Amino acid sequence: MIREFTLIDVFYLVAAIRWTLVLSVAAFAGGGAIGLVVAIMRVSAFAPLRWLAAAYVQLVQGTPLLCILFVFFFGLSIFGLPVQAWIAATLALSIYASAFLGEIWRGALQSIPKTQWEAGGALGLGFAEQLRYVIVPQAVRVSIPPTVGFLVQLVKNTSLAATIGFIELAREGQLTTASTFQPFTVYCTVAFLYFLLCFPLTQLSRALERKYNVVG
Amino acid sequence: MNYTFQFRDIFNAWQFLAEGLATTLHLSVVTMVFGMAVGVACAAARLYGGPALRAAVGAYVEIIRNTPLLIQLFIVFFGLPSLGIRLDALTAATISLTINLGAYATEIVRAGLQAIPRSQIEAGHALGLSGLQVFRYIVLAPALRLMFPALASQFILLMLATSIASQISVQDLFHAASIIQSRTFRDFEVYTVIAVLYLALALLLRAAFALIYRMAFANR
Amino acid sequence: MSLVEIRDVTKRFGSLTVLDGVSLDIDEGEIIAIIGRSGSGKSTLLRCINGLEPVQGGTITVGGVRVNDAKTDLKKLRQQVGIVFQSYNLFPHLSVARNITLAPTVVKNIAPAEARRIALDVLHRVGLEDKIDAYPQQLSGGQQQRVAIARSLAMQPKMMLFDEITSALDPELTGEVLKVIEDMARSGMTMALVTHEMAFARRIGTRVIFMHQGKIREQGPAAEILARPKTPELETFLNAVLH
Repeated sequence: MIREFTLIDVFYLVAAIRWTLVLSVAAFAGGGAIGLVVAIMRVSAFAPLRWLAAAYVQLVQGTPLLCILFVFFFGLSIFGLPVQAWIAATLALSIYASAFLGEIWRGALQSIPKTQWEAGGALGLGFAEQLRYVIVPQAVRVSIPPTVGFLVQLVKNTSLAATIGFIELAREGQLTTASTFQPFTVYCTVAFLYFLLCFPLTQLSRALERKYNVVG
Repeated sequence: MNYTFQFRDIFNAWQFLAEGLATTLHLSVVTMVFGMAVGVACAAARLYGGPALRAAVGAYVEIIRNTPLLIQLFIVFFGLPSLGIRLDALTAATISLTINLGAYATEIVRAGLQAIPRSQIEAGHALGLSGLQVFRYIVLAPALRLMFPALASQFILLMLATSIASQISVQDLFHAASIIQSRTFRDFEVYTVIAVLYLALALLLRAAFALIYRMAFANR
Repeated sequence: MSLVEIRDVTKRFGSLTVLDGVSLDIDEGEIIAIIGRSGSGKSTLLRCINGLEPVQGGTITVGGVRVNDAKTDLKKLRQQVGIVFQSYNLFPHLSVARNITLAPTVVKNIAPAEARRIALDVLHRVGLEDKIDAYPQQLSGGQQQRVAIARSLAMQPKMMLFDEITSALDPELTGEVLKVIEDMARSGMTMALVTHEMAFARRIGTRVIFMHQGKIREQGPAAEILARPKTPELETFLNAVLH
């Protein structure tokens, strides 16, 4: 039975945003943890670690996110995990985020001049201590604008979780279209909602970049 | 883990993979060409156009960059018919991807053009060159060299993003996976092979762009 | 009629008045040295002469053509007036030869072979013929500045403007550039230089203009002005610069 597209539908779409946000946060947390390891590996003095991390980043960045999603979804049962869309989506997006965040943070770490490392070393600090007290605090400042910028990409990419059936904003849009037969109205509304989520983040990223460029 | 991986079935279906790959390449190349054209036109509008034009391009870029590609695709393919515009899947995908790439290309081209120091342009004017001549002889080549790496990255991202077109049944490489899957029931193996193929494509593209950069913008 | 006639020119950047009722005549063959503090308006005045900066009041006429007239073809005017900048502004993606032949071939439609002959000629005048096919990055600062001078000369202008052309150079490289200017002065080129090199200004300048806060405070023959300043501002300036 075909329904009218009413305010109730808009309400359900807005409500679905919470799953978009949950997935984004989970992927950012997971991806951030792995990405941090990747970034540190990339700047370490031990060559095999550097190559391993570089290969990982190339692998993940050279594969479409859809592919990663499907590989995880169909691989779940093989590896003994329950076949649930949210598990696959979280794992896939975390891996995806880890590669990009790893690259951003590596860039931030490498942007700190060598002289800072030398100064720390001259004071007797070891690699881990140099990272912790000298390099990372400075790198964090530099990395915030592009990290926030990537967050926008992440939020947009949660829409692909719809293809494996995870119910977030995009999937809710598909379901609403199926019952109201108003694809143009529904998807434009969905686009508008994503815009409301992403645009403030984009502006924040720009504002942060201006702020840190002036100071730094 | 008690499961035997069976890749042979996938390799037997190589024809589907080849056809899908051809479509993916076709879609990528066409989108790159038109997307680049859109990017250059909009960047020029942004830099040299009147306030209304600049605002329009600004709005276009912001809307596209802050909404998911999947939704943009759905609007073009599923939404336009209710306004009377009915497109086949491949055309809808091409248009949608072009609009998407165009927004990112606009920003890259704009940044490249703006990176040319004012003093260079001034020196050109001071020698008596017209605005167009300054652009052609003094701005264009250095700007292209500056924007090339970012453009190359964006093109590779685009090639990977064409996989999303499979969601409106474009018969690309990713879609070939679902065909093979329905015949062999080897879900995991299929998508693993597809992933490797995309990766190979991405690495090949990167090498090709690096070669072009070295040939066109050789360091003296 | 003077080659350059500047009458009562005012120029503002936003709310800041940079030129405040400046009047100046430059005759053919004159060599004007413009001195003054940073922010006194000297570079701005120079850049107004060939229309790189618009003016809000007054008139500037070069060779009988009004510079600040909207109908004036600035491209034609700029062929008559060459300018060399502090930061040379050579085109890094072009060879020295192409830097020099670009404007003659593209603006004056001179044939490439003839343009290259002109390039060799002007490079000879600045002492750099052997660098004709080099790229700017391969040259020292002094060499780049001399190429910049050659580039402007290739258009055979009626007068040359020099905007602090030695300020960005290491001290040992200034000499070679100043020598080129001296040679040009001897061959009768009309020139206006903004400079900090007081000794040089006195040696080759026919007239020295001292600018202060957007106005011409003092002007006169070089030797006299620099030895016997009449205004307190010039005296303070010379004390600070020449101690």
